[in-house]
Amino acid sequence: MYKIKLAIRYFFRRRISYLALGAVALCVFIVVVVMTVMTGLVGDFKKKNHSFTGDCVVGTESLVGFVYYEDFVKILGATDFVEAVSPVINSFALANSEGAEGSVGLEIIGIDPVLHSRATGFAETLHYHGDDAAIAFQPDYDSNLAGCVVGVELWLNRNSKGEYFYDSSPVEAAISVTCFPLTAKGALAKAGTDVVNTKTFYLSDFSESGLARVDSSVMYLPFEDAQVLCGMGGPARRVSRLHIKFRPGVALEEGCQKVRELWAEFSDKTSSEQYAGLLAGVSVQSWKEHRREFIAAMEKEQTMMTAMFGLVGLTTVFVVFVVFYMIVSHKTKDIGTLKSVGASNCDVMGVFLGFAVLLGAVGSAVGAAAGLVFLRNINSIEGWLFERFGFQLWDRTIYAIGEIPHRMEPAMVLVVAGCAILSCVAGAALPSIRAAKARCVESLQVSQI
Amino acid sequence: MLKLFLWLRYLGKRRVVLLSVAAVGLSCALLIVVVSLFNGFIGAFEQSAVDAIGDVVLSPGRKFEHYDELIEQLEELGVVEAATATLSAQGLLHLDKGDVRAVEIWGIEVQKRGKVTAFEQSLLNEKKTPTSISSEKGIESYIGVGVLARPDEKTDEYDFNAVREEIGQEVVLTTGSTTLATGGSVAGGQGEKREFRRTTMRLVIADAIFTGVYYLDNRVVYVPIERLRESIYPKSGPIAGQIQIKLRKGCDMEVALAAIRGVWGVFASERLGWEPYQIQSAMIESASQLQSRYVVEIRKQMGVLLLIFGVVSMSAVLLIFCIFYMIVETRRKDISIVKSCGASSVSVAAVFLGFGAVVGVAGAAIGTGLGYIVTRNINAVEHSIGKLLGLKLWKASVYMFSRIPDTVDWAGAVPIVIAAIVAAAAGALIPAIIAARTRPVDILRYE
Repeated sequence: MYKIKLAIRYFFRRRISYLALGAVALCVFIVVVVMTVMTGLVGDFKKKNHSFTGDCVVGTESLVGFVYYEDFVKILGATDFVEAVSPVINSFALANSEGAEGSVGLEIIGIDPVLHSRATGFAETLHYHGDDAAIAFQPDYDSNLAGCVVGVELWLNRNSKGEYFYDSSPVEAAISVTCFPLTAKGALAKAGTDVVNTKTFYLSDFSESGLARVDSSVMYLPFEDAQVLCGMGGPARRVSRLHIKFRPGVALEEGCQKVRELWAEFSDKTSSEQYAGLLAGVSVQSWKEHRREFIAAMEKEQTMMTAMFGLVGLTTVFVVFVVFYMIVSHKTKDIGTLKSVGASNCDVMGVFLGFAVLLGAVGSAVGAAAGLVFLRNINSIEGWLFERFGFQLWDRTIYAIGEIPHRMEPAMVLVVAGCAILSCVAGAALPSIRAAKARCVESLQVSQI
Repeated sequence: MLKLFLWLRYLGKRRVVLLSVAAVGLSCALLIVVVSLFNGFIGAFEQSAVDAIGDVVLSPGRKFEHYDELIEQLEELGVVEAATATLSAQGLLHLDKGDVRAVEIWGIEVQKRGKVTAFEQSLLNEKKTPTSISSEKGIESYIGVGVLARPDEKTDEYDFNAVREEIGQEVVLTTGSTTLATGGSVAGGQGEKREFRRTTMRLVIADAIFTGVYYLDNRVVYVPIERLRESIYPKSGPIAGQIQIKLRKGCDMEVALAAIRGVWGVFASERLGWEPYQIQSAMIESASQLQSRYVVEIRKQMGVLLLIFGVVSMSAVLLIFCIFYMIVETRRKDISIVKSCGASSVSVAAVFLGFGAVVGVAGAAIGTGLGYIVTRNINAVEHSIGKLLGLKLWKASVYMFSRIPDTVDWAGAVPIVIAAIVAAAAGALIPAIIAARTRPVDILRYE
């Protein structure tokens, strides 16, 4: 009990300890704010990637695609863990909108909007037909025309709040799409005559996935049209990928593993078929593996930032060390008295380490509370800075970022607080050992008093 | 002399002071590395634009004819060293079975481009002006190394030997252009009915291009401007979409831009017969002006990061305060003796303030050294971390360049060093005042 009492007493009586408290609180505040913003950005980015991809992807990077996908879709549909499967055509095309002088190279994704909305979050990205994805490819101005959904960044600009300038309905626009049709062997189809396929589509909706690279380079086309344009139709019909969504409760890795097993079995069974060679390059990936090229970069930045904070946080350990060194130097009489009434070395050490824990806990609480207040107001502070001084943390006309993430993750705060307490204990360790080693006979001799 | 003696004595005897030196050094090193990396990145960003498109770009927003005459007139200006025309289009490149890439096609004047940009230096095989090859197989082309090969997943490096094997191979490029449905000139005008006409070009790879800039290496295919024009605008005479200009060394950018605008105005009006609004809508900007919007954002991010680390570095000031307070507390007898020998309060305060500054200077020197070593070896550090953890931290696909900028920004480091010394002295201020207020009579009396 006396250990707690002494720790509390030192904490309130020794004003120098407020400095250590300030250093800990400052560090915790900065780390909590930066980590919340970064974790929020990374989490949001992952969520959008998950929504864009679905849970699992069976596919190939080759633009030739793979065959016999319909049989595998049936196999997946018969299982109890798959909720939806969406076959997808993925290729490149040249797009030219009516009246424009040049053409734009972009990525085309051929989908069945209903199936794709079941397997991924496609419907939620649509601006005009979000509540009924079935009519995503039906232009409002003429439902008989072949429609296309365009990545919003290809067509519209953002304002300073990051919002797009949408019209009340999609503008009437014809876009001619030109593709390379490839044979099942990967050669150019129609070689020697005309190696490209062209078809005109009409703008029916915009897709706003929140992923800058997707929204600025992707155009969605009806599945059958895309299949013909890319030369994937005919007797050996091909697709680029199958996007799969698992039933609720199915763990990601467990589901992916089951799909891998099913795919291995399916490839074995079809190994003697004419186009079985195309199945060799097909892989089964979870959404995280499929989008790792993009996600990993952000995660690495977060890790690097954490490492840099760890480095700077060392200074706080130094501050705690110096403060405890001073306190121990000033409290030789107390230490001597404690030892003379029977306190062991460990007890004395316990007093100072307890004090360090208290300091770390209170410093973390103060820092986290200040961080919470700051984060709650971070967007209004940024809004005020923008109104008054034209300053934005991120220019929303350039970056696809909405509001600054401000939701504190309790687990993250606990980890940061834990690290802060450990840093205080580390800083106080040497002075505590010095206190524990003090001999009462030396501390209490008249010359010392 | 007394002050110097005391500083050295405290530095040698009070080893705890070394902690504050270490803290100042650590913070200083971190800030110098951050400022060097960001400014290096900005420098590389701006230089990449100059290397790719020259010092100034004249972009009228529509294709125009008689560009050779405009170039001649520009080169007669004292401020212009050379100018070259380009014509761009988008296309799909069929490299091999199942391997199709979306690319940007730049029609260039092959012989002249090296005088305006760093085109020659970026050629993989020929580091000199390429001699125009006339191949029956197809049109000579220079293709970005990233279009021909993918970098290694772990090292992010290209297999240049494999890329060299691609040289001489034939590839097929599909592109197109809009043409007027009925009559009119290619330059066109508002309200004219246009339609898209696709074209297929058979190319032979003359060389590969490696600039170290991700976008250029992964997206661009260079072909002779005339061959591109013949393919996509067969009915038109020589046309260009852009003029890229290299300025003479040491000339003033604003003067040069004004002179170029003048030449363009006269040319567009007299030779092309354009209306004043069409002439004025032409964009004539320096390469750095073209990048300025993004540079501002990068600078802003650097400012925010420096602010965050600067605030965290305030802990070092607290540390110095604690240490100096401890020294003053334990050295009251010394202070009293010095004062009793006639030293004024100001002199005593100066001892501690000066000592604070010495700590700042020592910390800043160590920090600058550490910052220099880390920045200069940042690629090796990144490589070692990558080897250790099995991951690549710096990827050209994410950060635009294949190498991390490793030049120390001394101009950016100077304010950091000064701030470190001032902060260290500020940390020592209150203990110095306490020391100055010490009354010898209170401390030295014997009771």
